[in-house]
Amino acid sequence: MLKFPKMKIFDSMVKSNSYLVGLSMFLLLYFIAFVGNWFGINQAIVESSGFLNLLASSWVDYLIVIIILIPIVGAIIELKYGEKSVKHRDKSVIYMGFLTLVIIVLMYPIILNKTLSIEIPQVFSIGLTLRIDMLGYSVLLLSAFIWFFVMIYAHEYMTHEKKTTRFLFFLGLTYSSVIGAICSGDLLMMFIFFEIMTITSYMLVIHGQNEQSYKAGYNYIIMGLIGGFLILTAIILLYFNIGDLRFASAIAKLNTLGNLKYWIMGLLVFGFGIKAGMAPVHVWLPRAHPVAPTPASALLSGVMIKIGAFGIIRVATSYYFPSQDSVAGINDPLWQAATNIGAIIIWAGIITMALGVFLALQQANIKKMLAYHSISQMGYIITGVGVALYLGYEGAMGFTGAMYHIINHALFKSLLFMIAGVIYYHTKELDMYKLGGLWKKLPFTTITFLIAALGISGIPLLNGYISKTILHHGIVEATELEHPIFFYAEIIFIVVSAGTVCSFIKMFYYVFLRKTDNEYKTMVFDYSSLDIAMWSMAIIIVLIGLSPNFILKSLILPILNTTTYDPYFVEHHIAHMNVFAGKDLLMTLGIVGLGFVIFILGKKFNLFHLHLPKWLSIEYLFFLPAYIIMRNICRLMYGDRCPMDKDDFSKLTEKDVEKIGFIDRFIVTTNVFNRRYEQSIIRSDAIIYTSFLTFLIILMLITKL
Amino acid sequence: MWLDKIVENINYIGAIALFVIGLRIVVTHSNLIKRIMGINIMGTGVFLFFVAIGNVTGGVPPIINPNVDDQLFINPIPSVLILTGIVVVVSITVYSLSLVVRIYENYKTIDQKELSRLISEENDEH
Amino acid sequence: MNIEQLPIINLLLFLLMALVIPLLKRKPFKITLILGFIVLGLVLISSSYLLWHVNNKGVIHYTFGGHEARFGIEFIVDPFSALFTTIIAGLAAIIYIYSSGDATEGIEKTEYGRYYVLLFILLMSMFGILYTNDLFNTYVFIEILSITTCAIISIKRKKDTYTSAFRYVMMNELGSLSYLFGVALIYMATGFTNITLISESIQNAFVSYPVNIVVALGFMIIGLGIKAAIFPFHIWLPDAHSAAPSTSSAILSAIVIKVYILVLVKVLFRVFKLDILNEMNISTILLVLAGVAMIMGSVFAIAQKDVKRMLGYSSVAQMGYILLGIGLLSFEGLRAAFFHILSHGLMKTALFLSVGEIIFYKKTRKVNDFDGMGFIMPVAMGVFSIAALGMIGIPLTSGFISKLNLGVAVLDQNQIIFLVILILSSLLNVIYYLPIIILAFLKNEKYRYRLKSIEPTPRTMIAPLVLLGVLIVVVGLFPNQIMVFIEAAVNSLLS
Repeated sequence: MLKFPKMKIFDSMVKSNSYLVGLSMFLLLYFIAFVGNWFGINQAIVESSGFLNLLASSWVDYLIVIIILIPIVGAIIELKYGEKSVKHRDKSVIYMGFLTLVIIVLMYPIILNKTLSIEIPQVFSIGLTLRIDMLGYSVLLLSAFIWFFVMIYAHEYMTHEKKTTRFLFFLGLTYSSVIGAICSGDLLMMFIFFEIMTITSYMLVIHGQNEQSYKAGYNYIIMGLIGGFLILTAIILLYFNIGDLRFASAIAKLNTLGNLKYWIMGLLVFGFGIKAGMAPVHVWLPRAHPVAPTPASALLSGVMIKIGAFGIIRVATSYYFPSQDSVAGINDPLWQAATNIGAIIIWAGIITMALGVFLALQQANIKKMLAYHSISQMGYIITGVGVALYLGYEGAMGFTGAMYHIINHALFKSLLFMIAGVIYYHTKELDMYKLGGLWKKLPFTTITFLIAALGISGIPLLNGYISKTILHHGIVEATELEHPIFFYAEIIFIVVSAGTVCSFIKMFYYVFLRKTDNEYKTMVFDYSSLDIAMWSMAIIIVLIGLSPNFILKSLILPILNTTTYDPYFVEHHIAHMNVFAGKDLLMTLGIVGLGFVIFILGKKFNLFHLHLPKWLSIEYLFFLPAYIIMRNICRLMYGDRCPMDKDDFSKLTEKDVEKIGFIDRFIVTTNVFNRRYEQSIIRSDAIIYTSFLTFLIILMLITKL
Repeated sequence: MWLDKIVENINYIGAIALFVIGLRIVVTHSNLIKRIMGINIMGTGVFLFFVAIGNVTGGVPPIINPNVDDQLFINPIPSVLILTGIVVVVSITVYSLSLVVRIYENYKTIDQKELSRLISEENDEH
Repeated sequence: MNIEQLPIINLLLFLLMALVIPLLKRKPFKITLILGFIVLGLVLISSSYLLWHVNNKGVIHYTFGGHEARFGIEFIVDPFSALFTTIIAGLAAIIYIYSSGDATEGIEKTEYGRYYVLLFILLMSMFGILYTNDLFNTYVFIEILSITTCAIISIKRKKDTYTSAFRYVMMNELGSLSYLFGVALIYMATGFTNITLISESIQNAFVSYPVNIVVALGFMIIGLGIKAAIFPFHIWLPDAHSAAPSTSSAILSAIVIKVYILVLVKVLFRVFKLDILNEMNISTILLVLAGVAMIMGSVFAIAQKDVKRMLGYSSVAQMGYILLGIGLLSFEGLRAAFFHILSHGLMKTALFLSVGEIIFYKKTRKVNDFDGMGFIMPVAMGVFSIAALGMIGIPLTSGFISKLNLGVAVLDQNQIIFLVILILSSLLNVIYYLPIIILAFLKNEKYRYRLKSIEPTPRTMIAPLVLLGVLIVVVGLFPNQIMVFIEAAVNSLLS
């Protein structure tokens, strides 16, 4: 029998935080009650005159602006309190999160009945739109809950870090830009908030301010800006060809563009995909997560990469889907573009999944492993989006799977990162092979870890099982309805799920179960804000797992009603879906068994320490021609009189890609180029003039005559 | 036939020749003062071209003689324009020459190649 | 006082101010500064009034001495010249306020007065270039502008200013003489130097004397290209920037080279009209030059260690953008180019002025020495960051709007390759601007001992920076007001 030593309460705000979390649980209860129409609450509210007046009034649209502004105001208030009074500072941040959560939960009945939208015509010479519909609302609700819990967690966690004021300030700004990105009604507004989100979250990643943080941060922001520029190119192309950037069906006009529509979609998928951690542009994720403080990692992996996937869903279902009244059935040729794009996205998702889980198994650092798992799970979501597009009219299953998995993954991934943070907080160690036996010292954490790990592995009665089953059904449908090649996709799906199970068995064994010599005497068994936040998320995970149809009924079905999916299909296959069918349960059992087998084999044959040779990394292969040119650049420019002994030119010949990245080599190359040519260009000023003059005049005379 | 054409347009050809000679001096010589002189020669070429435009075959200098009416005058406008132009080129030459004096004081050479070598040595020291 | 005399009064005010400054040599310098500010204010008010007047009531013609346009010199105030004279007056006023602080570094005390004399003559010549309707008059004003700019750049008595100034004079003279040769050829073919009269008879001249017109076009493009720092002829610009004091750099990079591009626009669209340009395929030539400038300017900028040289090469790249807009030879393209002239003027001024403040207080110019600068001089680095983000093309700044407009204009003429080059050059901009911002605000370990306090800077130096930062964001958020004026200017050029 475990003996519970006396609990110490370290944290002075535990009481108030507990109250707030209790209130948030009450809100959750209200939400459940509203959807389930317990005690007739639903009818009472919806039919009340106050509510109907609210719906009809014009100022209800300004709620969007209010929820975007509250985090900014909270951030400014927090800045003013600064380091002077830590309690007030953290309180302001937590209350800000709570207030936003309250407003968002209470907005549910409004959004069910009416899409809020605001138009601002004159800004940016094109005009902007803000809009919340059911799709945005689901992600918004999710982000609000998670952000609130992470704020409570951050309050306690950041007592071990410096410069918390700056961290919380940028956290608030990032929250505001995330809400703005979800609430945008046209592509330009989403792009603007995306850029702001990249810049403010850069400050979060770089918080540690050591050499590694700077490198990871630089990589992160450059890739974020490249993604931004890809989206900008797509915006310019869309604006020029279609004229209206709002999220409405544009497939009729897009079809007249021929192949250009595939280019636009490719640009958008890559642009948003960089943010979503899609392979091959996922490389910033495993670098940014270990160096960022845990609350930032939890939010980065939990919410921000979902915004990338949300962007892809929004763009694909708005521009490339026909509108509801113009489509006839599954064989309508209007679906052709979506089908082609969907196939490619499915394969991209499958590759991402496999890559993520394979690399995750090789990691020793807990946070890096979780980062690779994020990539792998985003692969699931992207596959779901691909199926949603590929099957066209019948694609509701994939869409449901993707949305459900967004919600689930946000929950359990944030929880997992929080657990990793707790481990770090107590033991200052993140290497899985050096830890062990933590179940004795941190029993509550162990239980929450079990819940989260079972969730991500897809065990029944927890939430991961539901979304993975739906996604599996989606892939099976793709195989049956369209093309048998997706059978291989299904096989990879099953193997990847087994790999996920294996990886978490591995982590549980090494971190919690294994007996080691470390005593961790200094760990005290305490009850702090960290635990409150983690427990609430664990409770939500279990609740969703126990009643899978709740999320379907409350959030996903209303979304599906506004899209152009086949209503008959939605009614028959999704609305009353039974996820606990015998076939799926057996499949899960098989996956778990396979996972155990892989784990045992891996431990025996030491398969968990494989390192791919350095030249096989995606970055190196992608840039290989450029690297070859850059290595020989000195010889190319100077001939034989190459001044190679300067130490910064030797950077170019460095074979190891990890030490000097692509951009640094590019800068050194421009240095060589500059050194060689700048002075000679300057010296030959008159020669350039004469030669260009003669050349131009001869050219023009030839054109004329 | 083409000899007539050349004699007719001798002014223009001379002007263009001066321009090209001046340009050649600027391009090939490295002494700063020679380059300034090259620019001057180019300028003179352009001015010659301009003034030559005003020439009207069979015209008389533009002074009104009250006794004779209906004379064919040479166009006076280009000459007037060029007066302004000459002033401008002179002022630029003055400015360049003062710069050359200062360069000589500081570097003790007015050869362009020497100068760039000295400057790049100075920059390398930093 | 007639409304028609306002343009000439503007010029006269500047000239008188320039004459009066040496007379005030014995008085304290403050009187000169205040008087200059009053003059600039008056000119700014009168330019804005002219801008409103020509957009609502009609174009103003003014002929000197009452001689008709054929024999005399004519000034035209139309939406094009009114818009740009207002912009120049505004930017000059901001730079003037800045320079009245202690930022005229490196200049000896006795030279202050001469600096301002040169500044006012420079402003007068710019106004003259924009107002005049006569090609040779443009040449005279161009030459005045050249000399005063050279003098304003080489005003410091340091060793390296002389060689840079010499190269500048040499290249500018080549350019002016080419331009003059072009004017001569046009005069030879058409018999006029007045722009409106030439434009009426250019078609006949082109049919009768094609060689003249073609060669004139070539000479003028190259001559003005040298002065406007377009890519292969940009040679003088980085040296000039590294040698000059910061206010002169700001004037040079933000205003002066724009005026030359405006002369090029005037010549291309009013003298040789669109038919000749299309026939001669000028569009291709200009677009190729612009594309090369956009990429190579940024490539050279990445390699620079001196921050002012880097900003100079950045100007070369931005002039490539403007040339791209012009080279499209369409309404959209010109509109995007003019908007970029305004937005780049604002951003470059902000960059040079903030860098000037940092150089003045920290005496360092190297890019690597910017560590922790954001804590010592927050306003300067803050404005630098806003302007740098604008150059990269982040939304909420005016740079983003100009990239958007340029992108749409490029697509309008079906030159998709230039869209790719545009995005690529934005990426290159990120590579050299972002590290400075990161260094300034984040990495302050090297110079912790310097972080005593925020440097106190005089208000005259901070206020213009803040004003520029606010303007960049405001123009980025609400560009429609300015677009109205710009579209009127483009229409007056193209019709």
